[in-house]
Amino acid sequence: MGGRVVLGSGGGVVDWLTMTIQMVSLGVAVWCLVSFFQDRPMLVPHLIGTGVLWLLVLGQVGAAVAAMVGGDRPDELPMLISYLATIALLPPACAVWGFMERSKWGPAVIAFACFVLPVLLVRIEQLWSPVA
Amino acid sequence: MPETAATTTDATLRSGPGRLLVAVYAVFALAATARGTYQLLTRFDEAPLAYGLSVFAGALYLVAAVGLARAGRTSRMVALVCVCVEMAGVLVVGALTLFWSAGFPDDTVWSNFGSGYLFVPLVLPVLGLWWVLEVHRGDRRETAPTS
Repeated sequence: MGGRVVLGSGGGVVDWLTMTIQMVSLGVAVWCLVSFFQDRPMLVPHLIGTGVLWLLVLGQVGAAVAAMVGGDRPDELPMLISYLATIALLPPACAVWGFMERSKWGPAVIAFACFVLPVLLVRIEQLWSPVA
Repeated sequence: MPETAATTTDATLRSGPGRLLVAVYAVFALAATARGTYQLLTRFDEAPLAYGLSVFAGALYLVAAVGLARAGRTSRMVALVCVCVEMAGVLVVGALTLFWSAGFPDDTVWSNFGSGYLFVPLVLPVLGLWWVLEVHRGDRRETAPTS
């Protein structure tokens, strides 16, 4: 396992990207909650926020896939791949949900998804490098 | 006009809070089924009861999500039954894991009343039950005076 130039314990995932995604995700979640309580449907700014989040997540997934192709593989590979697929699909899925539900419950779904996303990232880090 | 009444309730069960519930149920269905199936396939002998239970819970969440999303009269009943079984499941398994931890060497969604999942599994059936009954009441209010 030696010779890796990855800071921290995230294995093939990029630590600072994980931090950024978690921050942005929680930010979008709080913002959507505010919209929910203000009785607003999903609007273009929400979509842009979700889109930015998606790009960051795709960057993370790309880095993880690159690391796996490079031979750095955790023990529970199928689990990890399913988690990566989930985080890649989560932002677009909640955006579609926001389109279908043109009421304040659209932002509520996005807020939920954005609260789940940081948890999934934590699980991915755990999968990649189980606490010794 | 029984048909129009049916379509309006179809729309109400699906829209608004129902849409959020379907999303939450879908995520839990995915999480529990994927995790349980994988563990059953790779480590069956370690904790067959816990893994089997995870898969069962996942299937239940999936059926509940579909029931809530489709929202006909039958689907509503299906969703109602699923939600009730879930409630019983999380309470029984939650209590079992507290008092008989030897039976569950590995965690399930329902262990310790769903503490590993921020107690969402405990709250979810309550919300589901409330929502199905709420729509059911609205349905009866709508149809009772006209027919």
